[in-house]
Amino acid sequence: MTKKINRRNFCQNTLLSSAALAFPGSILGQKEVNDFPEREANKIKGDGPEIIDTYVQLFDYPFRNLKYSQTGDLINKLRKHKISEAWAGSFEHLFHKNIDLANRKLRGEVDTKGKDMLVPVGSVNLTWPDWEEDLRRCKEEYQMDIVRIFPLYQMNELSGEKFEKFVQLATRYQMLIQIVGDVEDRRHHHPLLEIRNIDFAPLVDIGKKYSKARIQLLHWNRRINKNLLGQMTGESHHMFGKNRLHGLDDKILKRLGDETNIVFDISRVEGAGEVGGLIHGDSWYGPDTKIPAERFLFGSYAPYFPVESALLKLFEYPMSESELRSIMRDNAEKLLKI
Amino acid sequence: MNHFVFDPMQYGIPDREQLKDLRIWDTHYHGFLNDEDPISYNEKMMKFVSRMGVERVIALDVGGTRKVPFGSSPFDKEKRSYLQRNSANLSGIIRIDPSYPEKSMRKMEAWIEKGPCIGIKYAGFNDKGITCDHPNNNDIVQKAMSLSAIIYIHTWIKTGGSPRIPGGGNYSGESTPWHVVNLAKRFPDTVFICGHAGGDWELGVRAIRECENVFLEFCGSDPHSGSVDLAVNELGADRIVWGGHGPSRSYSTELAKVLDASISHDNRTKILGGNYRDLTRSIFKKKGLAIDP
Repeated sequence: MTKKINRRNFCQNTLLSSAALAFPGSILGQKEVNDFPEREANKIKGDGPEIIDTYVQLFDYPFRNLKYSQTGDLINKLRKHKISEAWAGSFEHLFHKNIDLANRKLRGEVDTKGKDMLVPVGSVNLTWPDWEEDLRRCKEEYQMDIVRIFPLYQMNELSGEKFEKFVQLATRYQMLIQIVGDVEDRRHHHPLLEIRNIDFAPLVDIGKKYSKARIQLLHWNRRINKNLLGQMTGESHHMFGKNRLHGLDDKILKRLGDETNIVFDISRVEGAGEVGGLIHGDSWYGPDTKIPAERFLFGSYAPYFPVESALLKLFEYPMSESELRSIMRDNAEKLLKI
Repeated sequence: MNHFVFDPMQYGIPDREQLKDLRIWDTHYHGFLNDEDPISYNEKMMKFVSRMGVERVIALDVGGTRKVPFGSSPFDKEKRSYLQRNSANLSGIIRIDPSYPEKSMRKMEAWIEKGPCIGIKYAGFNDKGITCDHPNNNDIVQKAMSLSAIIYIHTWIKTGGSPRIPGGGNYSGESTPWHVVNLAKRFPDTVFICGHAGGDWELGVRAIRECENVFLEFCGSDPHSGSVDLAVNELGADRIVWGGHGPSRSYSTELAKVLDASISHDNRTKILGGNYRDLTRSIFKKKGLAIDP
């Protein structure tokens, strides 16, 4: 059982680590040594589609320097994985009070570094005064067709006059509304950070009342339960019982599925083969009945999550070609098309 | 079940043959974690094991149940038989409780010395709120060493308490990586696996860095880009083992942590199975089990 440490490797790695600290973008972001030994590519059913990634964030996470925080590095990384379009928001949207500046900076970053790849996603914080003007600028000045909000971090309830006004205005601007559940596992938050515990259940009534609003949930599964998903997707489900995964709330999930047109990304759908399991009614933790593939969109949450996580979810469960094409590209194209 | 519709290599991820070539050992397998019908539950999970090219799984839910680790589970006999029949690709480690060192050691005799299992696991909770560095653990560790058994310790660093601090939100008896270090310093000649990287891997890696007989395993938490890079740079690839944590975590999540890392193919192979094979070589030999297919 005794294991000797290879000091030479340790020193080499330490040197690499030191270099990485000096040049985090170039070493951690660009050095790609993870290619597999060469072998002929499989010829199974021809080329798969290029992917649209509906959940990407630019810049650094407020509490960590990210490996692919440089936009150029991130774009190269996404391209390597056959992702041809990514809907990109900004981590600056979480806490910045001058959120308009964050939106403007994001627009500029996309224009200078990611024009052929990135779709800029603005944000407004309903807690800050005159957020309506921020939303107008997103649409009219920065030509953003998507607005992404972080209720747990931006302290916004998903009900009430203010939130309904937001949904109405965004819909009038023909903007897709993306609502993010968690950003980081709250068990690992910096001790000085305490986020709000926002109830996602009111989204059922919002989705029903504003049926023309286009709403996508991102990184949602700690916030949504099986019943609420069922309500959103029109499927009828049994209760979860004891098999709840990481706070997945079965009641909310079912209702969202049954009663609304709200769609979901896959970035934090968790469990062995769970994306396909939800679609095929073969889920470990979700509803027993099927949720159509048309309700799921590829979302990686890069660069916070490895892109590989969402990619592998496409393969872990044996899904059909049409299901995969829907998730990888078609659903996103339809959602953004007005 | 084992064929992918599109070639994963088009998407910059390994196909099934490449995954198989990595000789992946999933050292944190919860396929039996179901008290009502663990056998069927496991059979469903094994489909994913096969599809993702995993060579061997190490089941954690063997011998008693999670709630009653020393009780006799109605499925004990069946699980024991299943482990014996499937020893070519399935091993088991048993849950012990440092609240009861004597009972823990009797269980080790029954399931490791005279049974199919290869190690012990400290859970994230126990009856008397005893962390892994408590003196109660000395006899347990000595016993494990005499059996050449794997010692796996669940750790987490949960933010909480008043005032809020890292680890202040842990369950009673839930160890942190620094508890593992305290224990490991008393037994420098054996290896301890610090499970889940403490959840908060940035702190977990730092906590165990100085203690070379503590290995890191980082399953069960969200996949964070750069986590394995940090672990390899700070600890060396030789001190890292890998687990899948299915079915509550996906192989997608856990493999992505390693595939994201800018490390050599050799190091990737060590992390995904090679290091654990080295740790278990002795007990496999004692049990007459083949470590290579």
